[in-house]
Amino acid sequence: MRLHFSLLLLVMAGLVVAFAPLPVPAVAPQERTFEVDARQYAYSPSELKVNAGDTVTIKLVSTDVVHGLYVDGYDISVEADPGQSARLTFVADKPGSFRFRCNVTCGAMHPFMIGKITVGTNDWLYRSIGLASLAVIGFFPLSSFLNQSKKKDERNIAS
Amino acid sequence: MKRPELISRILIITGILLAVGAPLFLWARTPLIHARMAEDGGWNPDVIQAETGKPLHLKLTSDDVVHGFAVGQMDMQSVDILPGKVTEITLTFDKPGIYTFFCTRWCGLNHWRMRGTIEVTGGSDIITAGGSSEPASVPLYVSLDLDIDAPHDSPVIPNEKPSAMNGQLLGANLPIDQSLDYYLSHSPYQVFTDLSDTSLTESQKWDAVAYLWQSNTTPESLANGKELYAQNCAACHGENGAGDGVFADDLAEAGEASMQTMEGATDMVMQTPVDFTDPSRILGASPALLQGKILRGGMGTGMPMWGVIFTEEQIWDLIAYIYSFQFEYQK
Amino acid sequence: MKEILLPNMNRIELTRIPFIKNTLKSRYPQLAVFIVMLVGYIFAILAGLIGTPVGSHNFSIVFVWIAWWAILILVAVPFFGRGWCAVCPIPLPGEWLQRGAILAPPDKRPKWLNLRVPKMFRNIWMQNISFLLLALFSSALLTTPNITGIVLAAMLFVAIGLSAIFERRAFCRYLCPVGGFIGLYSQTAPIELRIKDKQVCVKCVGKPCYNGSDAGYGCPWDVFPGGMTKNTYCGLCMECIRTCPHDNIAVNLRPFSADLAKPTARLDEAFKAFIMFGAAMIYAGVLLGPWGTLKDAAYNVGTGAWFMYAVIFLAIIFIVLPGLFTLGIMTTKGRQSLKQRFMSLSTALIPLGLMFWVAFSLSFVLTNASYILAALSDPLALGWNLFGTANAAWQPMLTTILAPAQTLALVVGLVWSARTAQKVNEAGTSTIPVIVYCFVATSIMLWLLL
Repeated sequence: MRLHFSLLLLVMAGLVVAFAPLPVPAVAPQERTFEVDARQYAYSPSELKVNAGDTVTIKLVSTDVVHGLYVDGYDISVEADPGQSARLTFVADKPGSFRFRCNVTCGAMHPFMIGKITVGTNDWLYRSIGLASLAVIGFFPLSSFLNQSKKKDERNIAS
Repeated sequence: MKRPELISRILIITGILLAVGAPLFLWARTPLIHARMAEDGGWNPDVIQAETGKPLHLKLTSDDVVHGFAVGQMDMQSVDILPGKVTEITLTFDKPGIYTFFCTRWCGLNHWRMRGTIEVTGGSDIITAGGSSEPASVPLYVSLDLDIDAPHDSPVIPNEKPSAMNGQLLGANLPIDQSLDYYLSHSPYQVFTDLSDTSLTESQKWDAVAYLWQSNTTPESLANGKELYAQNCAACHGENGAGDGVFADDLAEAGEASMQTMEGATDMVMQTPVDFTDPSRILGASPALLQGKILRGGMGTGMPMWGVIFTEEQIWDLIAYIYSFQFEYQK
Repeated sequence: MKEILLPNMNRIELTRIPFIKNTLKSRYPQLAVFIVMLVGYIFAILAGLIGTPVGSHNFSIVFVWIAWWAILILVAVPFFGRGWCAVCPIPLPGEWLQRGAILAPPDKRPKWLNLRVPKMFRNIWMQNISFLLLALFSSALLTTPNITGIVLAAMLFVAIGLSAIFERRAFCRYLCPVGGFIGLYSQTAPIELRIKDKQVCVKCVGKPCYNGSDAGYGCPWDVFPGGMTKNTYCGLCMECIRTCPHDNIAVNLRPFSADLAKPTARLDEAFKAFIMFGAAMIYAGVLLGPWGTLKDAAYNVGTGAWFMYAVIFLAIIFIVLPGLFTLGIMTTKGRQSLKQRFMSLSTALIPLGLMFWVAFSLSFVLTNASYILAALSDPLALGWNLFGTANAAWQPMLTTILAPAQTLALVVGLVWSARTAQKVNEAGTSTIPVIVYCFVATSIMLWLLL
């Protein structure tokens, strides 16, 4: 019974850490423009930070060959030739951290040409570390319980 | 040997032979034209044979990045060649000659070096250089005997961007030669000095020049020039014409490197891409001079030779667009 | 100890099911799979060498590094342990050469040199080295079809060569860069091949499972099934099921990570755990991170930057990670020597290491799985469209569940490792340093991936 109860408690705590809504700091949405240079096989700047609700414009400037920029999670993309920079405008309405990657094959390391855009704070990272901490904290009482019951089993078998 | 053993051996050998033979056979049967960045070899093959009147089927693939394919001075839509994909295209040539095919998507600093030739024979079997056009007429800069490498800066520049609209308001009775030849062979500065006998103020004279330039082009021409500029020029000369394109620094660097290997050639200075927004540079250049520069290229400066690529009309459109960095035209 | 007392506790013997038993005992199903695999393997070599140099559209890259890798690390290793080794075609040509036959009973006299592998190589240090060699070139290997083709071909020919010099599957057991970590992680899998009754083996004359008989070949993996307590070196080739005259071999379904109750007692295996643990973290940072300089250094093999990368790579794996681990376990005192505790507690890194690889691979595989469709329809990049999917656009899959799935994998791995640390802690000292170490590593991995 005690095991079930503490397990239940742990799962509940886990659900809270994973899904409890956090107070979102009210920041007035802004218009933000980034000029992102693309070369084989990196973006510069490669890490962008915006607030949730911002209208983000990425001006993609290819400096060697044709590159693209696809934003994970938003499923939008843009393609730019050298000399013909292109713009991608979107409302950053999904909070979190997303990778953006080249979606126009641009040479060997193309699949790993990656940048990162963080909308608001990267909550899921903190929640995940919270879950990991919770797992470790909950682990000790549970495992000592398991060890005890195992010893009991062994005694039963031995007798 | 027992039967199962024999059968398994046969199966394994057959499997191996098939796995090796079938791909090799199919691969050898499908000749592809490979596109690579110029520093990795460019087109392979880079010489293609064809006959007049017979459709030429080409299968093109890219081995690295996005490239494009088009034939110079030919009325055709360029096609994209995507990495690892095969693009098929059929061309038919009416006239024999040596045609130039080229890459249409920027693929690095040496993109413009990615060129090859199609040798079209047939009919009279006479191969003439210069593509499909009639025996090439002598370009204007040659007949005018212009030295296109000589400095041509305008000693006077306007205080503000000359306005074609204001120039139009000055009336049509200005003493300007309205012929096409006059426009083509004179730089804006030369026209400006030709107006020195008039009572116009300096800025009015420049406005009149701007109007002359506007009246020698059309909105369609400018739009076409703009598109050609974005695709072919902006990577070096900058999207806004300021000579600050994404390859400008690379060009300067490459130039410095090559300077070191060129012993004794100290007087030859590597140029960075021309800044079309620089009035003294552009107002001192006549359309004929610009045509010469585009046709022939920069001879070691990194400026490609466009003569075999663009039609004459395309070059005039491009020139009209280049002047628009200097003049305020009617929208 | 209890495992030996109660060998069949928590086990379900799959070989009791006649269909499974017959399928495993007969040579033909396995041979059929081998032939298909060999044909595919050779085709992948050819595609790597003559296909398009564009990695993301080349059959060999897409099938080896996306499709095969996904199946291996997400399914085969976690659920079937050395299941891949059971169907891997690399040893087939070499064994044919070695045995002089595919199916026929082995000759009494060896055909070739048939040497025993020298004692100094009878460990997995060569596998550690071969894995690290590939790992240092991995950015080029993963993206360049030619290199992948050459490496695949080299593995096949080295395996054939070693078969002619040494007895049994010397390549698989001692050199294969993949086999090393499959063996390490196969300990976590819920599948095992074990004997049913130890006494039968003790009394068995001739030990045909190890020495071979008319019914089949002696263990190609140089393992005596009677003494087997861990999955690590059993290649699941099923030869002993065929040769055992007493029907004493079973394939069991068992709880996950049953082998991890027996701590690692070898330094080569302990370092294998660190190599895999560290490599997963480095890959997550270099390949999936937003740092272009790192990618350039990793890709431009031979340049100064690459040498720096290689030195840092090796330093992390051989100095930083084991060093911090050692410092951690030094804070507690135990009956055993430090070296012994280092080896046995390194067992705790095995489940978490596997989950690091799962989390890393999920991102890489789900993002690029759509390349499989295009490569399938046009495997030689000659403009074919065999299944109508040649022009399938690149499109990441399941992007919304990727991050939660990665978190789940890592948290499960962390708990699993903590539990393992307690189980292998024979010295009876505190496992807190090991668990803290795992927690910190998990947090770093989360930061790199999310």
